[in-house]
Amino acid sequence: MSWFGWLGLLSPGALWAFAILPALLGAYLARERPRQATVSNVLALRALHVMRGQRFGGRPRLAWTFFLELLALAFAALATAGPYALTRGAPIAVVLDNSAPMEALTPAGKTRFEAAVAAVDEALGASGAGTATVYLTAPQPRAIGGALDDAGAARAALAHAHPVDAPDDPAALAALLGQLSADRRLGRIIYAGYRPIAAPVPARFQQIAVADPIPNYAIGRFTLSRETFGAAALHASLTVANLSPAPATLKVALEGDGRPLGTEQAEAAAGAAATIEFPRLAAAKVYRAELAPADGFMLDNAAYATGSSVKPVAILFVSPTPADGASLAGIPGLAVTARTPGQYTPRDVAACDVAIFEYAAPKELPQVNTLLVMPPPGDPVFALSAAAAPQVEIANWPPVNPLTGGVNFRLLNIRSGEYFGVHPWLDPIVNGPGGGLLLSGVRGGHRYIAAGFNPFPYLGRGNLPMSILTLNLLSDLAGLGAHSGGYRTGEAWIVPAGVERIVTPAGDRASVTAGALYIAVAQGVYQLAGAAGAPALRAVNLSDLGVSDLQNVPPIAIAPAPLAAAAGESTVRQPLAPYLLAAILGLIVFESLFVYRRRRAAA
Amino acid sequence: MLGLPEEFTADFIARLEQLRIKTRREYAGVGKGTHLSPRRGSSLEFSDFRHYSEGDDFRYIDWGLYGRTDKLYIKLFKEEEDLLTYIFIDASASMGYPEGDRKFASAIAIALAFAYVALAAGDRVMLRVLGGKGAMPPPAFVYGRHRIVELGKTLAGIKPAGELDLTAALAQELISIRRAGKVFLISDFLMMPNAAERALGLFNAANMDVTAVQVLGGGELDGQGLNGDVEAVDAESGERVRLSMGPRERARYREALLRLSREIRVFCFRNGLHYALYTTNASFQDFFLRAASEFGLAH
Repeated sequence: MSWFGWLGLLSPGALWAFAILPALLGAYLARERPRQATVSNVLALRALHVMRGQRFGGRPRLAWTFFLELLALAFAALATAGPYALTRGAPIAVVLDNSAPMEALTPAGKTRFEAAVAAVDEALGASGAGTATVYLTAPQPRAIGGALDDAGAARAALAHAHPVDAPDDPAALAALLGQLSADRRLGRIIYAGYRPIAAPVPARFQQIAVADPIPNYAIGRFTLSRETFGAAALHASLTVANLSPAPATLKVALEGDGRPLGTEQAEAAAGAAATIEFPRLAAAKVYRAELAPADGFMLDNAAYATGSSVKPVAILFVSPTPADGASLAGIPGLAVTARTPGQYTPRDVAACDVAIFEYAAPKELPQVNTLLVMPPPGDPVFALSAAAAPQVEIANWPPVNPLTGGVNFRLLNIRSGEYFGVHPWLDPIVNGPGGGLLLSGVRGGHRYIAAGFNPFPYLGRGNLPMSILTLNLLSDLAGLGAHSGGYRTGEAWIVPAGVERIVTPAGDRASVTAGALYIAVAQGVYQLAGAAGAPALRAVNLSDLGVSDLQNVPPIAIAPAPLAAAAGESTVRQPLAPYLLAAILGLIVFESLFVYRRRRAAA
Repeated sequence: MLGLPEEFTADFIARLEQLRIKTRREYAGVGKGTHLSPRRGSSLEFSDFRHYSEGDDFRYIDWGLYGRTDKLYIKLFKEEEDLLTYIFIDASASMGYPEGDRKFASAIAIALAFAYVALAAGDRVMLRVLGGKGAMPPPAFVYGRHRIVELGKTLAGIKPAGELDLTAALAQELISIRRAGKVFLISDFLMMPNAAERALGLFNAANMDVTAVQVLGGGELDGQGLNGDVEAVDAESGERVRLSMGPRERARYREALLRLSREIRVFCFRNGLHYALYTTNASFQDFFLRAASEFGLAH
C-alpha cells in the first residue's frame, strides 16, 4: 500500500491500532470533572499528588502531557504498520579484487588495492541513491555486508575491506561478473581489479583497472626432501622465475629458524624459470627463503617451508615375528607399523607407503609398493615357486642397478633362503645356482620385490652389506620421501584430528573443529595446536607463478547479458519505523525532563 | 454567657479562677502583682544582702549576720509584680477551613481562656489578632477580669480571611512590644515547618516565654470532604492540586498533617517552648483544663 507515490505501509492492517486513540481521547474528555474543595492548606496534599501521578490506571489529568503521550501512542501505532518511504535509485554492484596481486605496488607508491578502493570510493560518491552490494574476489567471490542501504554504507564497507595473500579464482570471478551482468535490476556494476575485462565489455560495467605491468621475480615451488633415503639431512629445492622483460640473476638467501643457512643464485632469462638447490641443510623447524632483487610485489619474494613437512615413509611390516620390523625404526624418516599376518587389514595397507611381508603373503595384490621376504609356498596372489636351500649362494648380480648399487655381494653371507623359479612378471635381479634370489617387477603402477633371503632384522653397521642392500630395496620402493613445499594460500584444509586452534602468521588465534574446513589466506607459517603437545607447523605460500606474472594477465571474458537494456532506476523502500521510535523516545525524554523540573520546583 | 463563647460556663470559669500563669523566667511588670520580678522589693522571696547605709529600714537588718561579723547588713527581697501577657491569634483564611470544624472559634475560646486566667490573677493582657477582617482589639493592655467581656465581644466580630505570613506579622508586632512577658500564640501552623519555626524563634530571641497552641480541625485531620476526584484549592494561596482521594490517600494525608505537627512540637521542646495541639472534635473544656501544665499554667 503506497500513498502519494513515495510513502507506503508494509502492514496496513496495523492501522486499526489508531482506533484506540479516539477511544482514549473520548474517555479523557468524558471523564468525571473533579469537584473543587477549599482546604486550609495543600501542603499535606502535595505528597499525595505525587503519589497519584505514579499510580497506574489513574485518570488522565488535564495537562498537555496527556496529549504528548497520545501523540507518542499514535507514533507507536503508526510504527507497527511498518511505514516506509520510496526512494528512487539504481542498485549498484561493486566487485573489488582483493587477491594477492592487488598487494603489488603501483608507481604512485600505493598498493593496487588502495588505488582501487580510492577509485571505487570516488565512483560511489558520484552515484545517486540506491542500494549497493560490495563483492570481494578472493579467495572466492563473496558479498560483504549484504545489500547496503546506500552508497555511503558501501563506502564504509569498503573502508574495512583488505587484500589477502590468496590468488583469485578466474572462473568464479567470470561467473560472478556474468551473473551481475545478467541482473536487470542493477543500474551499474563497478569492477576494480588487476584483471582486464575482455572486449566487448558488457553495458553498465564500469571498469577500474589497476593493471599496470610490473616486472616481477618470484619464488615458485619450495620443497624439502631428505638428502638420501634414511638420511637426517634435508635438501631444499626452489623454483625461481624471472617474470620481467630482461635477463636477471636471481639470488635466494635461505634461513633456518632465523639463522642464515646459505645463499645460492641462478641466471634466468626473461620469462624463464630456474631451479636452485640447497643440499645438506641443518635441521630447523622453519625455513624461509628470500629472493633478491626486490620488486614491486614482495609477497612472492619470500617462501616458507617447515622441517616437519618432510613426510616420514610409512611402512607396514607384516610378519609372524613383528620384532624384525621394529629394527627398522632406527632408520631416519621411517614410521613402522608392525602387524602379524592375522592382524593386518586392507586399511593398514592403504595407509602405508610401503608394505613388507616377511614369511607372509598378502591376501590380495597390495596397491602400494611391496617387498616380499621369503613368502610361504602356495601364495595365490604372486604364485611364486620357491625351492628352499640350506646354504644360499649368489652367482650373479647386475653391476648397475638401484637395488644392487654399493652392495659388496662377496661379503654378503646368506646362510639359508630359497630360490625362485621363473615368474611371469617379476624379473630376477640377483641369481643363485638354484634360481632367482631377488625378483623385481611393476604391476598396476606399483613396484614389487621378492627376496629369497631375509635381510631382517636391520643391523645397520653390524652387517653393512646387508644393510646397504636393505636400504637400496626400501629406497627403490619408497623414493626419498619428498614432499611439496607445503600448502598454497586460498586452499581449504581439513583441520586434522586433535587440532583445536590455529594461530595465523600474524598471531591471530582461531578456534577450530577437527574435520572442518579452514582456508588460509595469509602467507607464512601456521601453528596447529591441540590440547597437548607442541603445535604442528604448516607453511603456506602463494607459490603460483601464474599469479606472480604481473606482465601477462589474461583478461576475463564475460558473456554479454541480453537483458541489460532493461536496466534502469528502481525504487528502494526506506523504513521509517526507526525515526518514529526515535521520535517516541524524544517525546518521552522531553516529558520526563519537564515533569522532573516541575516537581523539583514544587519541592 | 455575657457575650463569651458557650464553652465558658460558670463551672469552667470557676476552674479558670484557680489557674495561674507560670513563667520559666522572671519578668518585670508595671504594677504590683503575684509574679516574682527581677526588681528588688518587699516580697518574702530573699534576693541578696548589702551593707547597711543610713536611712535604711531597721526591720531588714540581719541581726544574726551582725552577731557573726560585727557588721550591719540589710536583707534584700524580690518584688512581686504583675505579668505582661501577650495573646496572638492567627486569623488567616486557613483558620476558617474546613468550615464545620470551627477552628477559629476554638482559637478565640482558647485565647479568651488564657486572657481570663491572666486577668483573674491581676495580670495585664494584650490580645492581638493576626490577619482576618473586622474590628480589631486595640494594641493596649487590659487589666481586671471584667474586661474579658469586652475582649469576647471584640473577637466575636472578627472573621478569618486573607493570606498571612506569620513570621512577618509577628515581627511587626514585636516592634511595638516594649517589655518581655508571656506570649500565647494560637494558630493552625499549616505552613512549611521552617516558617513556623522562624515565627516561634522570633519570640524566643526576644526573651519571651512562649506557649504555642496548634488548632487543627477534627474533620481536617480526617480529610473530610476530600472524596473521589477532587481539586483541592488552598484557602490562602489559591494553589490547586488535583487528586483522587480514597481511604488510603486520606490515611496518608492525615499522616502528613500529623508529621507537620510533630515537627513543630519537636522544635518547641528543643527550644524550651510550651506546645499543645487541640483538635476541634475534642471537648474544649476538658482539653484546656487537662493541658494546663502544657500551656505553662499552674494551679
